Amino acid sequence: MGNLLDISDLTVSFGAYGRRQHILKDVALSVPEGGRVALIGETGCGKSLTGRAILGTLPDTARIESGRITLRGESVLDMPPKRREALKGTAFSIIMQDPLSSFNPVVRIGRHLDDVMRFADRRMGICASCAERKARIFDVLRKVQLSDPDRIFAAYPAQLSGGMRQRVLIALSLLHQPALLIADEPGTALDVTTQDEIMTLIDRRVCDSGLSFLMITHNLGLVRRMVDEIYVMRHGRIVEHGRTTRLLRRPQAAYTRQLVEAIPPLYGEAVIDRPASTAKPMIELTSVSKTFARRSVFAGRSSHVAVEEVSLSIREGEIFGLAGESGSGKTTLARMIMGVARASSGAITIDGKPVEAGSATARRNRTQLVYQNPGTSLNPKRTVGQTLAVPLAFVGVRGAAAESRIETLLCEVDLPSHSASKFPHELSGGQKQRVAIARALAANPRIIVLDEPTSALDVSVQRNIIQLLTGLRDTLGLTFLFISHDLSLMRNFCGRIAIMLKGKIVETGSPRSVFARPQHPYTRALIAAAPVMSQEEEDLKPQISPKERRRYLVGARA
Amino acid sequence: MAFDAPAALGSALSPRAMAWYRFSRNRQAWIGAFMVISVIFVALFAPLIAPFPDHAGAVVDFSHRHTPPNLTFPLGTDKVGRDILSRVIFGFRLSLLLVAGVLAIAVPLGAALGLSAAWCGGIIEKCVTGFTNVMLAIPPLVMALAIGNVLEPNLVNAMIAITLVWWTWHARLVYRVAKSVAAEDFIEAARLAGAGHLHILTREILPNCVSVISVKTTLDAAFVILFGATLSFLGLGVKPPTPDLGSMVADARQFLPEQWWEVLGPGLAIVYATLGFNLLGDGLRDMFDVEV
Repeated sequence: MGNLLDISDLTVSFGAYGRRQHILKDVALSVPEGGRVALIGETGCGKSLTGRAILGTLPDTARIESGRITLRGESVLDMPPKRREALKGTAFSIIMQDPLSSFNPVVRIGRHLDDVMRFADRRMGICASCAERKARIFDVLRKVQLSDPDRIFAAYPAQLSGGMRQRVLIALSLLHQPALLIADEPGTALDVTTQDEIMTLIDRRVCDSGLSFLMITHNLGLVRRMVDEIYVMRHGRIVEHGRTTRLLRRPQAAYTRQLVEAIPPLYGEAVIDRPASTAKPMIELTSVSKTFARRSVFAGRSSHVAVEEVSLSIREGEIFGLAGESGSGKTTLARMIMGVARASSGAITIDGKPVEAGSATARRNRTQLVYQNPGTSLNPKRTVGQTLAVPLAFVGVRGAAAESRIETLLCEVDLPSHSASKFPHELSGGQKQRVAIARALAANPRIIVLDEPTSALDVSVQRNIIQLLTGLRDTLGLTFLFISHDLSLMRNFCGRIAIMLKGKIVETGSPRSVFARPQHPYTRALIAAAPVMSQEEEDLKPQISPKERRRYLVGARA
Repeated sequence: MAFDAPAALGSALSPRAMAWYRFSRNRQAWIGAFMVISVIFVALFAPLIAPFPDHAGAVVDFSHRHTPPNLTFPLGTDKVGRDILSRVIFGFRLSLLLVAGVLAIAVPLGAALGLSAAWCGGIIEKCVTGFTNVMLAIPPLVMALAIGNVLEPNLVNAMIAITLVWWTWHARLVYRVAKSVAAEDFIEAARLAGAGHLHILTREILPNCVSVISVKTTLDAAFVILFGATLSFLGLGVKPPTPDLGSMVADARQFLPEQWWEVLGPGLAIVYATLGFNLLGDGLRDMFDVEV
């Protein structure tokens, strides 16, 4: 056969709260010896569960109903528990999704690595001394480009950056040269540039050691450069399977087509150019800075500059994109424009008037915010109607008038009017985000700040939300400030973009010119790191020298 | 290892249905609920259920003094010949009255203080948490003894004494929960939508604290019964001849070990009521999936 791993007719059911549901249905998947395979699907489709079924770490409530999982022709499910246990870390290894929660915060990194090695050694009957193990661990740490193994070995998880933790996780999975490396959403919690580094690293390790590789992800762009074969999963079934190039270019199943089309292109003919607005400026910032003072009993005063000397002007009716990595000050800037936080120096004017001016009512009527995660921005104990009634009551709309206004609002965001009586847990992620948008619209604002409104959503849902937002802007004449780190989305959605790095704006311009001729090296690095769908787009990306790369990529320092 | 059950499962059931499922599968919670309901029922209809309702008062029947348990007196009689079962049944009344009185004041007071401390911050937060910590440092029994000695020993004063030390726990708990809820996005969203302070406190934060408060209150009921029994055991509770579980145990103590049933009856009654509330509280805790 030549296949390392074969899964056939795998059906897994979950029992919870007195019901039993089939989560995986007749899943068939195979990983050839030395092959690279990806399993793609949206949240909750059962892709992580498949990984767990292979590893044998299914939760107690899950039950394998039928099917076979074979490793080199031998059935894994029929093995005695002890042999199965011995496969972990040696035959299979997994790179976990969340680099922070995978470590015990009070245990040093060295202990984590040493424990894993010691137990795997014991299972394989190797007897090694502490020093020998340490030498082997250092070796692996160097392999994942952590240049100072001594420091990493003695560090606590919280002392490492996200990118470094992810590297340690990779090191953990490589300790014993597994036959199959499973990566469950690697780097999803990281910034684009760091994610790019991590992918390159995994790619190189897999190449060098000739491992077989199974990648579980929802990101189609990442998959293109990492694997040869793709399985697409939906509602626990494999809906399509094929070579990467064929599948991304000519998807056959309707669902795959929908997934592929939902990804905004970075370059090429399909890119949408939004006309730049020529209306009068709506928001104007002149050399705005924000400093956070930290007072501590022992260390005295220290301060942290979140936003430094930012000058911007956003025109009426414009979709202005603000890009940057986490910690670059995007959200702080938005909060100052909203009037929630005060600028330490500089002036912000909205419609010609200072942002602090006017009553609270007037301010609310001007700017509203849509949060990143609709799961936490809606009160779980209040119905949609109750949530929407709050801003309406504030502008003096009550009783029957409020009810009819809520109906209109729900209609505007394409939700059925009976959703007013629903609680957030009865809605899907996309529907929740629609409610959050309706809440922002309720007080008839002129500006809406969108703080990564789609990053918690699946790609196909993202597309619908973006369409909705575009439509709303056209009918209601809104001005959007769109904060994101998804460059391909911004390329298609924004009329003008600004790139932020460490509290400063390094580049501003229309998406067309910024993407065609990025001026600042950081912009080039960001664009180069953005995952794309085809080789043609990859070729159009700006080139960046390794030296510049090292200089600007925060996560790359190790 | 964090693992989320696939979305298909979560969306199929509402949190309320899942909570109810967890409760209904918990046998201990059912037993606790039954015990609590039986105590409340017995206390409400005490005059109808007790075999000798008049024995709750100052009845003296020396011909039957110190009678061991028999068919007429299932739990025996005390030193003046009163039926212990009847007195225990009336004793439940007093214990529940105490519980209701104490919790009706301590829980809302504690919750209000905790909420305002968590929301207002600044000087109010410092004052409330500081005062709560000072109050927590005073041993509750010493405090209650001091108050009991200054005021006349009766039911109302026992209530006052217990309430004065009880609100602190609720203030602390609600403060902690409200503080974490207040940091959620939806609170800031409500503020941006123009909601007032009162609205945020009562409509946005409080509903998210209700499960914790109700679990804590149920568990507290058991402790209040015990505490009340302790106080009356020490002679700071209700004046005789009103039947009270704690003072019944205290009175009967001098006749141990010969007349053991006189202690056993009220003693078991205290255990029964306390255990019932504790089991129910534990069941509710599992049901709401909260930590108290």
